[in-house]
Amino acid sequence: MIDLQERVVEKKSFFNRLIVIYLFFGLIFIFFLERTYSLQISEFRDYEIAAIENKTKEILVQPVRGIIYDRNGTIIVNNVPSYDLIIKPWEIPNLNNFIKEISLIVELDPKEMEYASENFTQRSKYNRELILKKNLTKVEIARFEVRSYKFPNAFIDERYSRKNNYPHLFSHAIGYVGGISNEQLSSIFEEQALKQNETIFSYSNGFLIGKTGIENKYDKTLRGLFGKKIFEVDARGKFVKQTNYIEPKNGDSLFTSLDLNSHKVAYEKMNNRRGAVIAIEIESGSIVTYLSTPSFSTNDISNGISSNAFNALINDPNKPFFDRASQGRYSPASTIKPAIGLYGLEEGLIDWNFSINDPGYFILPEDQRVYRGWRKGGHGNVNLNKAMIVSSNTFFFSLAYKSDIDSLINHLSNFGFGKNICLDCFNPDLGLLPTPEWKMNNLNFGWFKGDTVNLGVGQGYLSATPLQLAYYASVLANKGSHKRLTLVENQTLKTLENLPLKNIKNPDWDKLHSSMIGVINDPQGTAKRLKDLKTYTVAAKSGTVELVSTETKEDYKIIRENEGNRDHAIIIAFGPMPNPKYAVSVVIENGESGGSVAGPVAIAVLNSLVEK
Amino acid sequence: MKKKLDFKNFSIYFDQYLFISITLLSIMGLFFLYSASQEDLNTVIKQSIFVGFGLILMFAVSQLDPDFYKIFSGTFLVLSILLIFATMFFGKEINGAKRWLDLGFFTLQTSEIVKISLPIFLASYLYNKALPISPKHTFITLALIGFIFFLVYRQPDLGTGLVVFMAGIYILFLAGLSWRFIFTSLGLIVLSLPFLWNNFLEPFQRQRILTFLDPSNDPYGSSWNITQSKIAIGSGGMSGKGYQEGSQAHLSFLPEAETDFIFAVIAEEFGFIGVCILLSIFFFILLRCFYLALNARDRFCRLTIGGLSLVFASTLFINLGMVVGIIPVVGMPMPFISKGGSSLLSFYIAFGIIISMATHKKLMQK
Repeated sequence: MIDLQERVVEKKSFFNRLIVIYLFFGLIFIFFLERTYSLQISEFRDYEIAAIENKTKEILVQPVRGIIYDRNGTIIVNNVPSYDLIIKPWEIPNLNNFIKEISLIVELDPKEMEYASENFTQRSKYNRELILKKNLTKVEIARFEVRSYKFPNAFIDERYSRKNNYPHLFSHAIGYVGGISNEQLSSIFEEQALKQNETIFSYSNGFLIGKTGIENKYDKTLRGLFGKKIFEVDARGKFVKQTNYIEPKNGDSLFTSLDLNSHKVAYEKMNNRRGAVIAIEIESGSIVTYLSTPSFSTNDISNGISSNAFNALINDPNKPFFDRASQGRYSPASTIKPAIGLYGLEEGLIDWNFSINDPGYFILPEDQRVYRGWRKGGHGNVNLNKAMIVSSNTFFFSLAYKSDIDSLINHLSNFGFGKNICLDCFNPDLGLLPTPEWKMNNLNFGWFKGDTVNLGVGQGYLSATPLQLAYYASVLANKGSHKRLTLVENQTLKTLENLPLKNIKNPDWDKLHSSMIGVINDPQGTAKRLKDLKTYTVAAKSGTVELVSTETKEDYKIIRENEGNRDHAIIIAFGPMPNPKYAVSVVIENGESGGSVAGPVAIAVLNSLVEK
Repeated sequence: MKKKLDFKNFSIYFDQYLFISITLLSIMGLFFLYSASQEDLNTVIKQSIFVGFGLILMFAVSQLDPDFYKIFSGTFLVLSILLIFATMFFGKEINGAKRWLDLGFFTLQTSEIVKISLPIFLASYLYNKALPISPKHTFITLALIGFIFFLVYRQPDLGTGLVVFMAGIYILFLAGLSWRFIFTSLGLIVLSLPFLWNNFLEPFQRQRILTFLDPSNDPYGSSWNITQSKIAIGSGGMSGKGYQEGSQAHLSFLPEAETDFIFAVIAEEFGFIGVCILLSIFFFILLRCFYLALNARDRFCRLTIGGLSLVFASTLFINLGMVVGIIPVVGMPMPFISKGGSSLLSFYIAFGIIISMATHKKLMQK
């Protein structure tokens, strides 16, 4: 037992000790309040955002892709709606019963049923929709719609597939669309400030992206902006309700410079031969015809094709996927001669009166090597005008022989050779404008005088795409003024440029045009057969690309047995003269004669453009 | 005379401050629970039966004289230890832990009882010991505390075990444990921490502490709870999102929203203002206990009031500290608010005893 005094001491000790503990708890309490204060007040914004992010899930809504028109406002590429049957798995207690019932209305194939049963449970768990059947027929839609009251847990929704109304005419110019890669999707999300992790599209998976041609180059314009459905979700990710809807912004329509009618004509005339046709509206630099043949159906590629059919296209020796118009490399052959002639005039190497005797060949003084013309015996006395009309190689061999290779290359480059001359073409090839450095670096050989001589007739290493040839034709037609090429109207970037030719005056251009008119109109012209195919005057220069060098016509007859050895046929043309509106280039692989094989195609395309 | 005596016998022992504030807390608790349980009326009805019964129990318990508790404290302790042993053999196992006895109508968490009976027993054991408490009594007391802690810890229930341990230590400390002993043993505890770490903690408990110290090191995702709790509290802001508007609780992001993490629901829906109002009621209860302890009639009552009120405070602070992430997750209910009958009833009983200790004055002798 403790006595009274001790009791006082005890009480005091108890009091002190209780205070110690209470003070300790007080400190903890203050610390706790401080924590709560900092969570709720100081860091409120962060946690508020975190809470909202926790509970919101955004589902992207796809925009509808823009429509592509031709220059006259005709729809070329459009979106066609297709209708899908979509179910709400979380409202369906038993999938098998449901399928049994709905099969009476809409037939399901085993693949579709398998897909449904594989994904049913998970979709149901998270309240996500599920596509039961794609591309319903009109009959199926009607059958479902009248009975839709029986299926509150299913509905039909519209989605779009891409359709080119002229699938073979614009295979390369407009190109095709296809499924998007994760990387592309991710960069689009970044562009449109969307969350990167959101890759679940609401029942319209398979967002399309332009893969080639205009569909690719103008993808951003055509694509539009995603909309969003914003859902509230619980901790398991289950949709609770839709809280907001932001409409997608559909893609903008695109008005191209392409002319449907000329494409029809070009396609028909090419008749699936390997080659390309390009036509340009000279004043604007607009590409109005852009055809590479043989072509393929873009709709098949965009919307699905059997693997057999696809393999057949891939393995087709005529390479339908290859865009000959902007990626095919061809020697310009004799079509280079106007540019060489202009070079001679500019440098004062020749004038219009200057003439040589053409024995049918040119002998290189350095090594006595013989460079032959196309006609045995030659063309006799030729000046520039006649050399153009009859396409005298000897004249241009000797002119090239006199030229300085560096300034000649510079001169040719001004016409677009070796350069990208199109602002919005898909993957254009630059062709090849050979230089001595190029030859040394790539072939380990120095530049011979013979190489320069070959350049004079567009043979040898020089190569150009049909696109470049058409551009070159338009520069010639417009007397040296030119605009870069485009496929879509209203390009503000384009400015008119002039060739830096000091000594070429208007009369020189007129004489050059007149010699090119002579190519068709002169009885000796290499393309004289074209004369009656039109009602107006056309200037042209044909070319025949030698693939195998032969000494005699007999030799050629032997090698032409193999179609792949036959000469390519090339022509550039512009008209109607004297104020040309359109420039055309046509290449037909192994077509043999520029004038009589490529020529009719060029004239037909010009006709379609001029005689509207 | 007889009538007078009878009247005296009928006098009611009642502390209106504690009674009103605890009733208020209990009613607020039901109100919070309705929202935290995502508007589950069953949960709330069940809980309100406990609340009603608990309030009656508290009142009844406070009518008994402190001497009754002093005399029977040993019996109570033995009974509660027997209950823990019973749990060991007949207990209901939930999530690998055997903490509950199924009584048919009620599942009893037996460790909740020992956290009251132990401090009362220790108070009755130490109230007549000379100051400072001699080493012998200190060791007897510590041995008992250690034994009971071990029983609870083995269930396993580290949280309640710690509260039981603390309850014992509080009484020992308040009764006059020598300061020298305190400082020496504190030193020893610090030195033996590595040993305790390696031998006494389950891997998941170690992981919780590690995760707490370094939230980025979280292979088992145990910081998910605390992250969601912090988001709930933080997003409540100054005035909260409104009753039943807490997205963290209602969309199930918040784990254990009805029990351990109910405070996060309150903070989310009522904001900092609501938190302050709620805590001020708890604070008031603690201050009232402090006052009652100082004015109690004798040392036994003082010790009991002090000990039980500190058990209450510890439970509260462990819960709050866990919910805001200043201590590791141990599983501790918020007194009078969280769902769960055992904890609720044990605190009504504790406060009934506190009121009994505070209101029964000794008849002036001599």
